[in-house]
Amino acid sequence: MKVYLGIDVGSVTTKFALLDERDELVDTLYLRTQGKPIAMVQQGLAEIARRLPPGMEIAGVGTTGSARYLAGVIVGADLVKNEITSHAVAALHILPQVQTVVEIGGQDSKVIIIRQGVVTDFGMNTVCAAGTGSFLDHQALRLGISIEEFGPRALESRTPVRIAGRCTVFAESDMVHKQQMGHRTEDILYGLCQALVRNYLNNVALGKELLPPVVFQGGVAFNQGIVRALEESLETQVVVPPHHEVMGAIGVALLVHEEMSATGEPSRFQGFQVSQIQYHTSSFECKACPNLCEIAQLSLNGKVLARWGGRCDLWERTSTS
Amino acid sequence: MRVTAPHLAHLWVGLKGTLEELGVESVPPPPTSRRTLSLGVKYSPEGLCLPFKLTLGNFIEALEAGADTLLMAAGTGTCRLGRYHLLQKQILQDLGYKFKMIPLGVSEKKFLGLLHIFKFITGGASWAKIIPAVLLGLKKYSVIDDIEREVNRVRAVEREKGAASRILRQAITAIAEAKRPHSLREIRKYYLEKLAQVPRNPNIQPLKVMVMGEFYVVLEPFSNLDVEIELGKLGCEVHRNLYLSDWTKFSFFLNPLGMNEKQRVHRAALPYLKRDVGGDGWESVGEKVLHAQDYDGLIHLAPFTCMPEIIAENIMPTTKEDVPVLTLICDEQMGKPGMLTRLEAFVDLIRRRRKAREKAAI
Repeated sequence: MKVYLGIDVGSVTTKFALLDERDELVDTLYLRTQGKPIAMVQQGLAEIARRLPPGMEIAGVGTTGSARYLAGVIVGADLVKNEITSHAVAALHILPQVQTVVEIGGQDSKVIIIRQGVVTDFGMNTVCAAGTGSFLDHQALRLGISIEEFGPRALESRTPVRIAGRCTVFAESDMVHKQQMGHRTEDILYGLCQALVRNYLNNVALGKELLPPVVFQGGVAFNQGIVRALEESLETQVVVPPHHEVMGAIGVALLVHEEMSATGEPSRFQGFQVSQIQYHTSSFECKACPNLCEIAQLSLNGKVLARWGGRCDLWERTSTS
Repeated sequence: MRVTAPHLAHLWVGLKGTLEELGVESVPPPPTSRRTLSLGVKYSPEGLCLPFKLTLGNFIEALEAGADTLLMAAGTGTCRLGRYHLLQKQILQDLGYKFKMIPLGVSEKKFLGLLHIFKFITGGASWAKIIPAVLLGLKKYSVIDDIEREVNRVRAVEREKGAASRILRQAITAIAEAKRPHSLREIRKYYLEKLAQVPRNPNIQPLKVMVMGEFYVVLEPFSNLDVEIELGKLGCEVHRNLYLSDWTKFSFFLNPLGMNEKQRVHRAALPYLKRDVGGDGWESVGEKVLHAQDYDGLIHLAPFTCMPEIIAENIMPTTKEDVPVLTLICDEQMGKPGMLTRLEAFVDLIRRRRKAREKAAI
């Protein structure tokens, strides 16, 4: 039986999704990237291979996320797609009438506006981490609470406190202040949820019309406190799909399925033995002009597989990809 | 006198030609690089826009190379760039450089003003010498722009990525060396033919995209992270709402004769914005209204902290003329991966939108 693999390598987590010929989910995997995208892709592939039911053959692989090009070279991707399109496709698959996709991940957040099944607008925040999962992680750590406890505790709040959420620096000093005033932890936690949602709506979603149905995906959707704060702000029910944390991977798996069916070509997938290979990454400063671009390269047994990072195409042309 | 000016698109190709004809020594700043940007950022007030920082960086590097006379755009219009020369002069003096800053003020004094500036820097050369030299420089811009317009079309469909850009680089070298208007005509013909012969990929159906917004960041590829080249790689035929040669043609010659090329754009913007809000904000709104039907999508470029373009960005979604717009804020903090993700998603969006419309039309 043919299956399609989607890999979403984000800055904080790496996600895998395996779909069958009818686009049904066969398997998913959710790992922490820990700053080692190559090792995590390899580890994930080994895990997927171990769990793969017999008789299944990988007929297409797609990559997405901020390390999509790197991951694409390693696994031999048939399709490399940006995470905005991937998330939109996955949301449309789960809920065809969706009009708004809210995605909050570890280091970035997005809003995707969909009308009549077509993406019409999107917004994305990458510079500031104030509206993302890292912010919650960090504050939970400060309060001595595990991130898993965060949501349930926040839901116990009766009188949430208002916390400045524009910037993590202000939020933190404001939060310490509220703690010292004697506010209860659950009220502070829910206050943080509201601050994050406020920040998201005032930055990423600024000027966009967020019509229902709203699908909320990404790792932060695990946090019920955020889900409730979002529902309160939008004054509507928010749909959290069962596999909300791997939607990017599902999206790119759907796209690669579509692509492979259209072209009818065999997959370029390098096989599961990729997880055993020792890749070598390095970087150097190009001295061809005063711009001094930092070029990153990926090599295998002394042979360069790909190069990135130049302002011009000098190094891309000399690579073999 | 060793004259310099900041980089702006291919400004130096024409300027160097004119100065050489007049026997004036010139010191073009080294090509804008990350070093230029770091220097500019280091000595600029943080809240100022990228054009300020990059032009300041260009001046510092030109002064290091021995320049002593700085030419800078100036004006009393509604963009604060018109006053940048005053602050840059102060900053550079504080850094200990010795130089003379000449504000150009061409938007007020037009072509005559420009001629007088050349009269000044040549120490009083005859008009018979100055006028042909300046016209030769201006002619170089129009030839470059004719070629670049075509390059922006070919990039979308070329089989080997980078082929059109390579021809553009060769053309610019040839244009820079040309001494006669006649040879410029031949260069134009030669390189346009060369572009026509670039092997194309018949499977690519190019999307039509317009790049517009604030003057400097639209024209200067370093400041917009080569957005035109990246769009070309994604299969987009790029049109720009402004070219240096159009700007010189209108501001030097046609505007003084009473022609206002922006009237159409302003009129189009009127239902949504009734007045000039500074810089090019009014024009950005007008371009969207005017060209909603002509393009699959618009890329709106704005420097960070540019008030007029922020106004435009917020008005554009409210127009009834419907075309997707992606606003990119150009700033030293902008990273290329983030920009590419947005561009790729935007191109997916407009491609699917076009398909949906084609289906609806059938």
